[in-house]
Order: sequence, then structure tokens, then C-alpha cells
Amino acid sequence: MKNSLIIARREFMERWNNRSFRFMLFLGPLLLLAVIYLLIISGNQGKSNLNVLIVDPTGLFEEKIVSHPSESITYYFYQDYVELEAFRDEKKFRTYDAMIEINEKVLINKKVFLFYRETPNVQLKMKLKFEVERRVEEVMIEQFTNLGIEDFRKIKQPLNVDFRDVNDPLNQSENEIAWVGYSLGYLMIFFLGIFGTNITRSINREKANRVSEVILASAKAHELMFGKILGILWASLLQLFFWIFIIALGLWVFEYFIFSETLGLGHLEGVQVSDQGLSQFGQSNPMMNYNTQMDLFFHRINYAFLIPNFMLFFLGTYWVYSSFFTVIGAMSGDESDGQQFVIPIWILFGVSIFAGYNAVQYPDAALTQFFTFFPWTAGMVAMVKITAGVTVVSYLFLLLSWLIMVLVGAVLLYFAGRIFKNGILSFGHKLTFKLLLKWLKI
Amino acid sequence: MIEIHDITKVFQEKIALEKVTFDIPKGMVFGIIGPNGAGKTTLIRILNQILIPNDGFVKYNGTLLNEAHVRSFGYLPEERGLYREMRVMDQLVFLGELRGLSRKEAGDKAMKWLQKFEVQDWAKKRIDSLSKGMAQKIQFISSVLHDPEVIILDEPLSGFDPLNINLILNEIEAFKNAGKSVIFSTHNMDSVDSICDEVALIHAGKLIAKDRVANLRSQHKNGDFKIRFRGNVIAFANALWTSFEIIESKEIGDDLREAVIRRRGNETFNDVYNQLSSALELTLIEEKLPGMQDVFVKVIQEHNQHEE
Repeated sequence: MKNSLIIARREFMERWNNRSFRFMLFLGPLLLLAVIYLLIISGNQGKSNLNVLIVDPTGLFEEKIVSHPSESITYYFYQDYVELEAFRDEKKFRTYDAMIEINEKVLINKKVFLFYRETPNVQLKMKLKFEVERRVEEVMIEQFTNLGIEDFRKIKQPLNVDFRDVNDPLNQSENEIAWVGYSLGYLMIFFLGIFGTNITRSINREKANRVSEVILASAKAHELMFGKILGILWASLLQLFFWIFIIALGLWVFEYFIFSETLGLGHLEGVQVSDQGLSQFGQSNPMMNYNTQMDLFFHRINYAFLIPNFMLFFLGTYWVYSSFFTVIGAMSGDESDGQQFVIPIWILFGVSIFAGYNAVQYPDAALTQFFTFFPWTAGMVAMVKITAGVTVVSYLFLLLSWLIMVLVGAVLLYFAGRIFKNGILSFGHKLTFKLLLKWLKI
Repeated sequence: MIEIHDITKVFQEKIALEKVTFDIPKGMVFGIIGPNGAGKTTLIRILNQILIPNDGFVKYNGTLLNEAHVRSFGYLPEERGLYREMRVMDQLVFLGELRGLSRKEAGDKAMKWLQKFEVQDWAKKRIDSLSKGMAQKIQFISSVLHDPEVIILDEPLSGFDPLNINLILNEIEAFKNAGKSVIFSTHNMDSVDSICDEVALIHAGKLIAKDRVANLRSQHKNGDFKIRFRGNVIAFANALWTSFEIIESKEIGDDLREAVIRRRGNETFNDVYNQLSSALELTLIEEKLPGMQDVFVKVIQEHNQHEE
């Protein structure tokens, strides 16, 4: 064990002394922060003028909306039923950018669907929500209460306006948070790719330098193997910690300095606005800056739960993949061999990325369940599921998948150790499957 | 003392060593010699526990060879290898730590050796900035840094220039004088002549001879003598009479000649002296023993004939 630690420290220091490694400690997270910044900025883009068709077959709105509607939204009323397909496809509806369905139950369930052709920007979404909500309030007061509007607002429930793409009415793609998990899984694969390849390259270099024999005279083959895996893991964890720290710092800077106004009233669900507020709407009210991306990054992700789980599944996935990278390094006859034999691992990475996509789109599908327990894809699927939110039971299943990963990794590392022991002193040979089997047997 | 008992090592049906048995006494320079592919490196790897034999065992000071023993060995492999991107001092400290030294001990000892070899300025240099010979020196230091009891050197002189060969030979001599065992593997017989006390000759995975170098040379002598004399060549030839033949004769100075003669029967050193001293002014008579190169070739030829 002591030898493994000495070897691990050397591996770690080799990377630390590499200028590009230290450069990436900062460059990587800064690039990622730039991407997050662009995403947030893009939340304020999109269509800025809307023609909205209010489909109101029961005439509930009486072809009226608030007294001072926003200039950027023009409302049209249609007192008949309109099928979604008709709105989407028929020529007569083409001039409308969005359709709001006001059905007879709106006063009871407080839910309104808005279908858009092109995503409106966040400000427009908020204006729409605000103005429709006001009109629903007026109708409710008129029909059901003797209260004044101020008293009514004290007891009312907020209106839920559900924005949906006319081409995706079931809102299947509206799962940004799962995509965040997918991105984290992708980041995990990215790190594994870089540092796993480092294991293979490090073994190849030791073989080419003929330094393996010097080491093996002082340390056992398995100590060398574990030392190498451990040292490269330390280097990758250092990268991860830097990334997490710099990104957290960057998000803090975004929250308190760059987007401070935006975030001040960021979470708007159920916020009450006075008539004065209405008149100021679209001018200086910070609420106008509500941004879904910011809401996503700053309110919907549970970082305290996500980060430890990311580390846990990163370790499990590194453990299970490291045996493969070790075997490839040990059995390679030269460095080009190593590059060729990494291809199957890249294919596994590809499968993993597909598994993540699958978990986002079809979280409950049988294939997703399979990928949850398949050791080479489990990390990716776990990231998607954990970010999207898991119940205690499904989290326990994820922990079970982690355990399976660790056990499978241990078995693979045992066999990798056998190949490593026999292959580490061989160089310049032609790698054959027969030779591999022999190394496994000896 | 190292005892090697019935060591057999097979690599994928190819026998690398077959029932090799011999002892390596303490405090001497012991040569493991043999042609390329004889199994020397395999045996040395077994002594370092890099390879495990299929059969047989090794004892060190009466107990089965274990990890702690091997840790107290120093090893310079034939295939030299260092981390090219590491600095000299970091490399030495790393290898010293693997041999059980603390970081500080390893650093102190490394500096002492660098000073001894007058290369302390290299401490912060990267290995890839050193010449091959310079890197060889560092490699040698790394193998003896932890003050090992047994030093195993596989082809230690290859790659060194004559000055550095002398440096290494002096160190080997110093180890021997300090009571340490030096195991020396080579196919370069000149170096065996100059430094080995005892050798084991391995050929095709088998031990075919093991003795002190002087004994082996004596056992395989041809009955040659080197003579240096002043006087007439004809008188010299006549004096040899029918007991000796002249193999070689040359003038090496004014009226000074040197010749190599070979006996025809069982004539001794005294016979040479008696026959020549009355006819010539002798300055040197020396029994000429074969070099280890000749012994090596002869033993292998004899072994091959015997096998056939």
C-alpha cells in the first residue's frame, strides 16, 4: 500500500508539473461559466411581439383583457373550439403566434394552456401570464364574489399558465433540469476520457522508457497498477474540485453582481402585483427580468445533493473504466496499439451518452432501467435521475447500481492485474487474442 | 549467501531456465555469464522477484527469499529506464522511497552520491536533458542509493565510456571490500576477467559450469607461456628443443623480444626456465592462462558436443 501511495504521488506530481494540466484547472471552468452566461443571456432573447389568439368558446372573457394591455401583445378572440392541429396547420391561424385556451374549468382549476409557434422571450411570457391572470380574477369576482378586487387578491390562488410549444403539446422536451444532469454525466465521461487515456498512456510510456522493470524490482505489479490508477484519480479529482469551486464562485458572481437585479425577484410563481405594478409592467419592474435559465441554475438544482452524488458516481465510474484502460496499456506492444485499443472504450462512452439521452427522454423505459444497472452507463443515468429529482426508493436503486459498479470494477481490476503483471514487461510484441488469454491464465 | 535451488521457468512452452542450482557466496563479485538468450536476465528477474519460477526456490541467508530481502537488494537492469520528464533528484528520491528510505534519507543519500560522482549540478536537470552516459550514471546511483546488501547488475558496463567504466568498476570493488555481494550478469567476458571472483555459466537455460574465475581459466589452459628475453632468436629456438613450439614471436625493443610458446607434453614452468635460462637472458616467464572469452567458447563447445 505504501508503495502504491509513493507511485500515486509521482503520477500526480507528473501531471501537476505539466503546464497544460494547471492551465486547464482554470480554463475549463471559465469556459463552462461562459456557456452558462450565454444560456442566461439567451433566456432574454426570442420573439418580442405577439399576436395571441384567445380561444374562448364559452365567452368567459367577453372579448376583453386588462384595461391597459401591453403594447407588444395584440389579443384576438375566437368564440369557438379550435383543435390544436387546426391552429398549428390551418392557414387562417397562421397570423397568430400563440393560442390561449380558456375553457369553462379555468375558474376552478386555475390552469390555462398557452401554445406558441416560436418561443416568446421571458418578458413576454410574464406579461401574458400577468394579463390573463388579471382577466381571470375579474371574471371570478364578477361571477362568484361580492368582494372588492384588493380583498379578492388576498385570498386568491395564482393562475397557472402552462406554456407549450405547438409542436410539442405534451411538453416532452420541457425537462431542462434533466438536461443539466445529462450535461453533468457528459462532463463525467469527458473527465473519464481524458484521465482514463492518461492511465493507458502512462503505462505505455513506462514500457517504452523501460522504467517498469526498475519499479517492479521495488514494488509489486499490483502496487504499480493501483498507484497509477490512484495518482491519476487524484489529478482528476483536483481538476474536478477546481472546476466546482470556480463554477460555484462564478455563479455567485453572476447572482450578486452581474444578474443581481434579475435574481432579486427571480422566482415569480404566485407573486401578487398591484394595479400600480401593472402600469409599471414592462418598464422598470425587476420582475420583468425573470429568466428560466437563471431559475434553473440558481433555484431548481439542489447542489448540496447533486455535488456529493456526482463525486460518488464519478469515483464508481472511474473505478469500473480504469481496469479497461489499464488492460489496454499493459497489453499494448507499442503506443499506437494503445491508441487503437482505446476505441472500444470510446464506443462504451458513446453508449453511455446515448443512455443519458434515453434517461432524459424516457426516464421510465425498460432500456433506461437496464442502463441504470449496466456498470458502464450507470454513472451517466444516475446523474440524469438525481438532477431531475428522485424518490428515496429510486435513490436506493441508484445506490445499488453504484454498488454493482464497484463490485464489477473490483472483478475487472483483478483480471486487469493479471494482464498487467504479465504485459508490463512486454514491449514491441504483436498483440493477439491468444496472447491475451495466455496472460490471463499465467 | 544466496542459494538457488532447482529453478525452472517456462514462458508459454519455452523453457527459459531448467533446474538451475548454485550458490552465490557472500562478499564477492559473482558473474552470471552466458550468451544472449541463455536465461541470465530471467534468473536475475527471479532473484528480484519480478518473475516467479514455475519450480524451485531461492534462499537468502538461509531463509526463503521474501519481499523484505529483495527490498535490501540493489538492481540495475539491462534495459535501463528512467522517467524522462522527471528531474534527477526527484527521480532518485522516488526510487529511494520505493526501496524503503524516507524522503529525507533518500534526498541526502542521493546528494552524497551525486557529489561522489561530481555531478551535483545535475540534481535539478530533467533526465531527458542528459546524455545517455549521464543517465546511466543516475541509473547506477538509483540502484545503490539505499545501501543494499546485494547489488545485482545486469550488463552494467554497456553504454559507458572507458572513463565511466573505470568509475563503475571502482565502485564494484568498493562494494566487495565493504563485504557486500555483487551479482554481475554479462556476455562481455573482458569485464568478467577483470572483476569477477566466481562465475556461473548458463547456456540454453542450463547451468553448465560454476567455479572461481582463476580455476576455470586454469582448467582450460593450453600450456602456453609468455617469454621475454634478450639474445639470439636462433639460440632461443634451439633452446626450446622439441618440447615446445613457438606460437608467436616479435621484437618489442632493442634486442628485446617477446614470444608465446606452447608445450608439446606435460612440461612445467620449471622446464621452461631450465631449458631457456642457460641460452638466453630471460626478463619474463609467465604461464599464459586463457581469458574468460576463450574459456566461455570452449565450455560451450564442449557442452554442445556432449549434448550431441
